[in-house]
Amino acid sequence: MLDRFNSNSSKPNAVRILAIVFFATALLFALIGTVMGDSFYIRLATEALIFGGLALSVDLLLGHVGLLPLGQALFFGLGAYVSAVVLKEWAASFWLAIIVSMLFCAFAGLIGGLIAIRSKGVYFALISFGLAQVFSRVIYNTRELGASDGMTGVPVVTVVPGLQTDNPLGFFFVTWLVIGGLYLVLRYVMQTPMGRLFGAIRVNEHRVCFLGFGALRFKITAFVAAAVVAGLSGALYPMLRGFVSPELMFFQVSGNAVVNVIIGGSGTLIGALYGAGLLTVLKSILGSFTVHHHIVIGLLFVVVVIAFPRGIVGYLVPVLEARLSKKKTGDNS
Amino acid sequence: MTSILEWLQFVLAPQSINGLSIGVAVVLMALGLTIIFGLLDVINMAHGECYALGAYAVVVILGMGVSFWWAFLLTPLLMAAMGYAMERGLIQQVFHSKDRHTLTLLLTFGMATVMEDAIKIVFGANPRSVEAPISGATELFGLFFPNYRLFVMLLGGAIIVAVWLLVFRTSIGAIVRAAAHDKDMSASLGIPVSRVYSLTFAFGVALAGIAGVLLAPIYSVFPTMGRDFVLMAFSVVIIGGMGSIKGAVLAGLVLTQIQSLSSLLISPVWNDTLLFGIMVVVLMWRPQGLFGKLGHA
Repeated sequence: MLDRFNSNSSKPNAVRILAIVFFATALLFALIGTVMGDSFYIRLATEALIFGGLALSVDLLLGHVGLLPLGQALFFGLGAYVSAVVLKEWAASFWLAIIVSMLFCAFAGLIGGLIAIRSKGVYFALISFGLAQVFSRVIYNTRELGASDGMTGVPVVTVVPGLQTDNPLGFFFVTWLVIGGLYLVLRYVMQTPMGRLFGAIRVNEHRVCFLGFGALRFKITAFVAAAVVAGLSGALYPMLRGFVSPELMFFQVSGNAVVNVIIGGSGTLIGALYGAGLLTVLKSILGSFTVHHHIVIGLLFVVVVIAFPRGIVGYLVPVLEARLSKKKTGDNS
Repeated sequence: MTSILEWLQFVLAPQSINGLSIGVAVVLMALGLTIIFGLLDVINMAHGECYALGAYAVVVILGMGVSFWWAFLLTPLLMAAMGYAMERGLIQQVFHSKDRHTLTLLLTFGMATVMEDAIKIVFGANPRSVEAPISGATELFGLFFPNYRLFVMLLGGAIIVAVWLLVFRTSIGAIVRAAAHDKDMSASLGIPVSRVYSLTFAFGVALAGIAGVLLAPIYSVFPTMGRDFVLMAFSVVIIGGMGSIKGAVLAGLVLTQIQSLSSLLISPVWNDTLLFGIMVVVLMWRPQGLFGKLGHA
């Protein structure tokens, strides 16, 4: 009994340590970039965090509810486009862009959820894939949204007085806070009764119904929440890069998010961020040698799926826990 | 009245026949997907890349100075060998884990990434063209159709019928259906289920390769050619019912007809949206697709 209690209380500790290490490393990375006077690395770190947000939304669905989304870039790209349109056409306001993007994605998530959520397993994966494919094709062919070229010239905006999005370190902090906040909120939600129900749906959906909960409602809630998380991350993208393009919705982006989650460790949330961080850095390093970095990442992914399906964090947490409990018993004796 | 007849003859009929030649290739793709899913419960996300590899195999074989007909015979064999190796070497590694649906999907997705980039490395990103082995055109209903398209329809149709006969009228097909119905019972009756799995996967991949060979002279050959095409095949399989052969054939033919005829009325840009709309409606009505799974009557 006591053992169980201990392992329960020490598990969040291991995850918490990994989370602190992640966000501290990200800060360190940006600070080193600032000291070296090279904004490339700061922007790279910012981009890694933004794609980390997309990976978080995939992990919410894949790791917690057990739905594999192969088209999550749809909401990421939608957030990015809405944010770009608001900034360019409506008002150059950071907060307005963020809020409108989130509302739009919540609505799109609701519609997408109503279409996709009734289907299970591989059907869900393929339908989410199809949704994104169709929607990106529509954007690709809409001249008002720049068609295949996307939209450029997204204006620089003020986040808080004195801090503008074109300040690399400043915007990195903004992104760091947003993604960190998202992580904490999701972490918290997973510990609420609703979060527990998500896990129950993943393990056995039928039994959840027998317990008197409408699984469908919770699945749609999760889908909408994931859409909002992806949309919020996407909304930051045009502020960082100054443009949006239909490629943001393409399968490559959705696929990469899934790869990030699996390599980092699905169902851990922090693993999604680790995966996004590692792969963004890896891609940047490989990209300086060859344009064919996909093959390396694809091979890495295949090896992880076969040999380490729990991902980096999935393997680190037990090791870390063992360390921690050893230290604890060492202190006691 | 004559104007309606003329419209039927000069507008509708050619669209329909062009749609049919593509429909046959789509059905071959969908058959591969659905047979693999029906037996192994595996969604082959790399199916589009297998199709692309089939087309590139033609490019290579023709480049060696061998005739198209040899390419047509050799490519399915090469693809089958590759599919066999993929199943043995990779898919079986995760096949017995608990959530094999997700894992095999992820695995084949990773393989697709690797294959696509491998194609780009070996052949470059530029499109290649393949010359049709049959030139000329034939007059049908007062219209001229490229002979090659007619050939694709006939040969593709023959292959579809052959697959149908193989699955439903031979003892090999009976073994596959038995393994799909109940693999433990089949194993205890002496069927080498694991070998049947590998060979079935190889067979499905070979069908994708054949589709690639047949369409290579019609479309140009480029590394990402499989991606759009496979979406069509996925829609067909989802609508027809995952793992259903009848569903794949019927849905494949109907959907490609809808696609080619609708382009008379709406911009082809909206084709995917239309197909997807149909898919959503069918799924709301019958979430498991129109027809039942292989081996489950």
